[in-house]
Amino acid sequence: MVQTALLALLPLIAVFALSQRRRLAAIIGMGLLSLVLAGVYLLSHAPDVAITEVAIGAALVTFVYVLAIRKTGRLVVVSDEVPGLLCREGASLIGLEHEILTGFARHLGLDLAVRFLPSAEVQGALIRGEADIGAGGIVGTDDDRFLSTPGHLPTALFHIALADVEAPPSSKQRQEGYFSDVLEAVRAGERRAYTLDLARFVALSRLNLSEYTVARLEGSPSYTFLLAPDRQTLYHQFVAYLDRLKESKELARMIQRYFP
Amino acid sequence: MRKVSIGIVLTAALLVGCFCGILLFFFGYAGPVMDAAGRYASRAVAETGAVNLVSAIYLNYRLFDTLFEILVFSVAVLGVRFYLVGRGKEEAVERIPESQVVRTSADLLFPLILLLGAYLAVFGHLSPGGGFSGGVVAGSGLLLCAVALGAQAIARRFHEAAFERLEWVILLAILLLAVFPIVFGRLPLSDLLPRGRMGSMMSGGSILIYNLLIGFKVFIGTWVIIYYFLRHRGEI
Repeated sequence: MVQTALLALLPLIAVFALSQRRRLAAIIGMGLLSLVLAGVYLLSHAPDVAITEVAIGAALVTFVYVLAIRKTGRLVVVSDEVPGLLCREGASLIGLEHEILTGFARHLGLDLAVRFLPSAEVQGALIRGEADIGAGGIVGTDDDRFLSTPGHLPTALFHIALADVEAPPSSKQRQEGYFSDVLEAVRAGERRAYTLDLARFVALSRLNLSEYTVARLEGSPSYTFLLAPDRQTLYHQFVAYLDRLKESKELARMIQRYFP
Repeated sequence: MRKVSIGIVLTAALLVGCFCGILLFFFGYAGPVMDAAGRYASRAVAETGAVNLVSAIYLNYRLFDTLFEILVFSVAVLGVRFYLVGRGKEEAVERIPESQVVRTSADLLFPLILLLGAYLAVFGHLSPGGGFSGGVVAGSGLLLCAVALGAQAIARRFHEAAFERLEWVILLAILLLAVFPIVFGRLPLSDLLPRGRMGSMMSGGSILIYNLLIGFKVFIGTWVIIYYFLRHRGEI
């Protein structure tokens, strides 16, 4: 009776394992299949086979597969921490770009892994192949060393500087270190000049900026994601995914949620 | 799509054809060979002294097959080493420490799992189990520790190049043990030790020795697989 039930369970678990988009879930499904199969062996009076099946199928093979997908099963995103777009809240990550990237990773059947880097180092990490996608409030540039997706959110650039600092306003985003360092520097009143995008500027404007001169730069840029130039396939998948988000008005709803 | 050469297609078709032919024409073959199963079932215990029929078959009647299976496992371990060493080391990533629950349960379970593995190997001729499953079970205990404490922490205490070489020494010992009966004018692979009293520890002739050797060998092999995967693909 139990044996019949376990046998009936086997194809169900197999279909479950096969139908998983996330690779880790599929591997867990395979381990589960091994475990149930061991039960069937045990009930069929083959305890020797059952022991081996548990040790090999459920433990060792699962382990080897988990390590095998370590590289291929993840979508690695490098990003600076930007409030509203991609930032920590407690132990989890939130933000518009985080939500887009999570959805895209699930669409591909991958697990999202975010590594925080100062925004100046994001491009280097992409070129070295350490990450798949660069995010975190990257304002569209005409830098043709990278593939940049069509903008998903309009923004603006602001140049802020203390009144007596001589720094020509540049049209490029310029910021050393993490954005949190910038916040600290401004809070401490250090004399620096920054060119910041809208999301960062909004976060910064909660501080006292009365000593700074603020200038909005010309143009109507928008936020993009960056990909290394040799990631054509991933780029096209990502652009298609973003297009679908835009068409289904899902993107507009997301933006509404984060930037009401 | 890549073009596949006609030769490969023909060879594959021929192989599949042969396989189907064998299935078609020989599946119903029931000559005297088929009596083996009945003979094993009725006389194995008396002939080999091992209560566990499965052990009696694969370490006595079919020892020849088992030797090559051990060889297959050794080649698999060698393959893992060869290809992973070629990939170069994973850059050292700082491990996120496992929770207290995982570490404590690993501490508690590790000796028990090791004991279970040893039991399976030592009592392989009396109860379900055997060298192979015992070795893998003990190896998975090490896997648990590797997950809880990190492979490097265990490797510092445990992993020696000599240990790895021991695997091949044991393989050699198994092969020599199989050939050894020649010295006494017997056929290779035959049993030298006494049958013993049925059900006692010292029964089943050489099966106990084979189980111990295979268990130890598989234990080392499993650890080598785990260790090299962790070292070259990064910690879990």
